[in-house]
Amino acid sequence: MKKEYSQAILDEIGAKFPRASVKIHAPRRTYISVPRDDVYEFAKFLFNEKNCRLSIATGIDKRDGIEILYHFSHDPSGTFYNIKTLVPKDDLKIKSLADFLPAANWIEREINELLGVDFTGHPNLVPLLTAETWPADLYPLRRDYADEHKELKIEKTKEDH
Amino acid sequence: MANAKLWGLKKSPWVFHVAAASCNNCDIEILDVLTPRWDVERFGIVLVGSPRHADALLVTGVLNRKSLPRVLRVYEQTPKPCLVIGVGTCTCDNHMFTPSYNVVGPYDKYIPVDVFIPGCPPKPEAIISGVVKALARL
Repeated sequence: MKKEYSQAILDEIGAKFPRASVKIHAPRRTYISVPRDDVYEFAKFLFNEKNCRLSIATGIDKRDGIEILYHFSHDPSGTFYNIKTLVPKDDLKIKSLADFLPAANWIEREINELLGVDFTGHPNLVPLLTAETWPADLYPLRRDYADEHKELKIEKTKEDH
Repeated sequence: MANAKLWGLKKSPWVFHVAAASCNNCDIEILDVLTPRWDVERFGIVLVGSPRHADALLVTGVLNRKSLPRVLRVYEQTPKPCLVIGVGTCTCDNHMFTPSYNVVGPYDKYIPVDVFIPGCPPKPEAIISGVVKALARL
């Protein structure tokens, strides 16, 4: 029963969003690569029509862009749908989900201040975690920040490998 | 005992707990110290709600850019002389958070700390032992 429901969602995704590519990672976890422009509608579909909730969003610097993952949990079946999208470095903009999804509000602020992604349409895009004295254009979780600040890296010893 | 202020401090130290961005483990162990099993209140050691009433500051957590001004403010509000007790390895040497962009270093770079209690988290016995050592130094 649970598995069928999951497959039904995947079929509907394939029909509604032809640009999304689905990769079943584990029996209860699915990664769905979605182009940046479709993320908003896709999240709306999962949240409003499929009763998924936003567990958390994560961002990571992939050198050529910032990859954002929205982890949606479908609680009745215990499955996860992870929307995966790459925001290119030369145009770091993505539509905010905060207008219909309050859970996205704070995590988008965090990704904005730590990785520098501009969430367009966010109601209150001000720093949440970094100190008041922290410069606004310095993003500490970017790879180029770590490259410039070698003192922050832990030297790996032979025992670590 | 020459100094009356120190005598008063030693007799029944009132403690203000400064939870400066700790992970909560040290805070839980500090609460354990007050439970019936260890019950330091029988020695007159009481947690108070304001640094202005405190004889000692019990700091926990790694000092970061956001908590530093708050900790300094609390320290300035505490009547002197006062004891500063660092609970947990984070207060001693930043522990595992050393390579973080946000960490500004151990407490003794900014405020005089009387005793550090290492451990992640330290056991209630270790906390009591550390406080006793700090009081014995006065």
